[in-house]
Amino acid sequence: MNIPRRKVALACATATLAATALAGCGSDSETTSTGAKALEIVYWNYGPAAESGNKATADAFTKAHPDVKVTLTPVTGENWGTYYANVATLIASGKKPDLMVISGEGAQFVHSNNLVKPINEYLEKDAGAKAITDDIAQGLIDGFTVKGDVLTLSYGWNDMVVYYNTDVFKKAGVEPPKADWTWDDFKAVAKKLTADTNGDGTNDQYGFTWASNEIFPGIMPWVANAGGNLTSDDVCQATADSPQVSKAVTFLDDLIKEGVAPAPMPMSDVFTRFQNGQIAMFGAGRWPIATFLPAGFKDFDIQLYPKGDTYKTVFGGAGYPILKSSQNPDLAWEYQKFTVSDEIEKGYVGTADKPGDSIPSRRSVAHTISQVGVPPANSDLYYDSIDKFETLVPYPAPAKYSTFESTVLRHLQQIFAGETTVPDGLKAMQGELTGIVTC
Amino acid sequence: MTTTVSTKRTRPRGDGAAALAFLTPSILTFLVFVLAPTVGVLILSFFDWNLLSDGTFAGLDNFRRLFTDERLLGVYGSTTYMALAILAVNVVLGLLLAVLLETRMPRWIRAFFRLSFLFPFVVSASAVALIWRFLLNKDLGLVNYVLGLTGLDRIDWLGSSTWAPISVIMVNSWKTIGFSILVYIAGLQSIPKQLREAAIVDGAGAWTRFWRITFPLLSPTIFFLVVINTINSFQIFAEPRVLTQGGPGDSSRTIVEYLYDRAFGDFDLGYASAIGITFALVLVVLTAIQFWFSRRWTHYQ
Repeated sequence: MNIPRRKVALACATATLAATALAGCGSDSETTSTGAKALEIVYWNYGPAAESGNKATADAFTKAHPDVKVTLTPVTGENWGTYYANVATLIASGKKPDLMVISGEGAQFVHSNNLVKPINEYLEKDAGAKAITDDIAQGLIDGFTVKGDVLTLSYGWNDMVVYYNTDVFKKAGVEPPKADWTWDDFKAVAKKLTADTNGDGTNDQYGFTWASNEIFPGIMPWVANAGGNLTSDDVCQATADSPQVSKAVTFLDDLIKEGVAPAPMPMSDVFTRFQNGQIAMFGAGRWPIATFLPAGFKDFDIQLYPKGDTYKTVFGGAGYPILKSSQNPDLAWEYQKFTVSDEIEKGYVGTADKPGDSIPSRRSVAHTISQVGVPPANSDLYYDSIDKFETLVPYPAPAKYSTFESTVLRHLQQIFAGETTVPDGLKAMQGELTGIVTC
Repeated sequence: MTTTVSTKRTRPRGDGAAALAFLTPSILTFLVFVLAPTVGVLILSFFDWNLLSDGTFAGLDNFRRLFTDERLLGVYGSTTYMALAILAVNVVLGLLLAVLLETRMPRWIRAFFRLSFLFPFVVSASAVALIWRFLLNKDLGLVNYVLGLTGLDRIDWLGSSTWAPISVIMVNSWKTIGFSILVYIAGLQSIPKQLREAAIVDGAGAWTRFWRITFPLLSPTIFFLVVINTINSFQIFAEPRVLTQGGPGDSSRTIVEYLYDRAFGDFDLGYASAIGITFALVLVVLTAIQFWFSRRWTHYQ
């Protein structure tokens, strides 16, 4: 039942494009469903877990509503972006799905293209709705609200937190970090954890690293805590050369220069290095536990990212909005509600051996993670990070999202490899982004 | 196809029909997987299409953009550098290794070496690239650890613009050289023994025998490998994608990777198709030059 928000970053590029195509198709009223009691759901088939998760939800729904026929349509794509593009092609070919899985950053784009049916009226009419929304963090509702329209309930989400290897900390005699730690504390800790463990004269254990292939578990938490963002608040202009971004990138670059962080590597390599103790800390959402726990690795815990000039939680959710093309919006609403029911949300909690890989959106369910005993010990922090702290809004998710992300990453790669300086690199990045981030 | 059928039918004994039946699978795959996409790309290059909308006719706009694209030339440069290096390694080192493998040695050692060289060729490119990425990490990779034991400084295999393309060249050559060796061995074994024996009787040394007999008789094999390796090495994708993500900058980016990003990152299929066409032309011209050149020095028996 784990339909994760693997990448907080959503390729909105495609969302806009998709939206245009979808909106175009949404208007014809040709009937495709055999009766009123059928639902078609489109989801991103990123791997076996996506299929089993969506199937489990659908099966559970059919069990509760035996008269409804649920059709699941898996759509491939190497990221959220290509998934959107493929969904659009699907709809262009005449399909009329009722619901589709989307991630939060796409909200404003699907909205501006008049693609989904807002759920405001259901929230007012449905007697059970208030109990549900009261149990969902305001941030998750806000994340899916555009100009007053609530687009969907979110079933699961991820925030960016720091993972630390408790074994490595213990061996180095370093106290576990506290939630109010600062960038200076962080650097001091990271330095203590950097060591030459085999005595060959060079370091083979590093304090910290970050994913080189994604911006959300990469630089975004640092940019957010420096008080900045990669785009303006209306996501119409790039702000990559702002002092805040520069401060964040300089901090990370110094970690490499001072030998506290190794040469950056993609997320999958970070996972492996963290498990074998070569990396003491890294940042990600809740999804690493789906790799760590089944592999028997439990020597880790989580903490908030350290405070810079401010603290803001970087997060992103996913939901099943009702499409305007739906022939049965009322039934689709029932399905959407079902995706946040106790039964389904418990699936995101999982068990210690088979954990969920995103955070349940319902507070009451999320807080059972520690009771059920799914590691890490500090699991309550996942939900608290959105409930009790300021969050980064909006997501820097411009229309051409995938071009945007790859451009940012390409310039960061040059900076972190020492091929260019931070100011020059960010200036070049900003120059290129100016043509990409537009409205 | 219908004309082919009718002309063949005039032949006696239905040989033509049988031939056609045997050819049908390859003709069909060619039509569906080669010709149709090629025509599709040709048409797309005149359109502005994002995969989703209907697309609008853009005339020559996509081709004009080729001349203002600031990155394109650099990417062509990196592609050419890496492709020529991979070609050279395959053709030269491949020949050397094949000759070494054909020298006298116990059968099991020969089998071991042949298997070691050929094995990388049959495994998935992205899978081995993932492993190499792990090994080549500057600070935590095994390669630098081993080099460190000999007192060398850590090399930024994947992060520096000098070393990143070299890493791609090494990993791709390591993967492809087994095929070149295999083809060379087949070529070497087809050289009649009598020729070499006669040369030995005439008192020719090993060096003379190689240059006067082996090399000329191997020239069709060499030519074949040059053509095949040129086409393959210009089209590498998985190694730079996985190892370096094309970076830093565009230093290890190949043209295929670049056009893939234009198509499926930017959703700019028209422009990606235009790049694809320039690239196809480059490969056609290169191959034509090679064929022209081969007439001068390839000896067929």
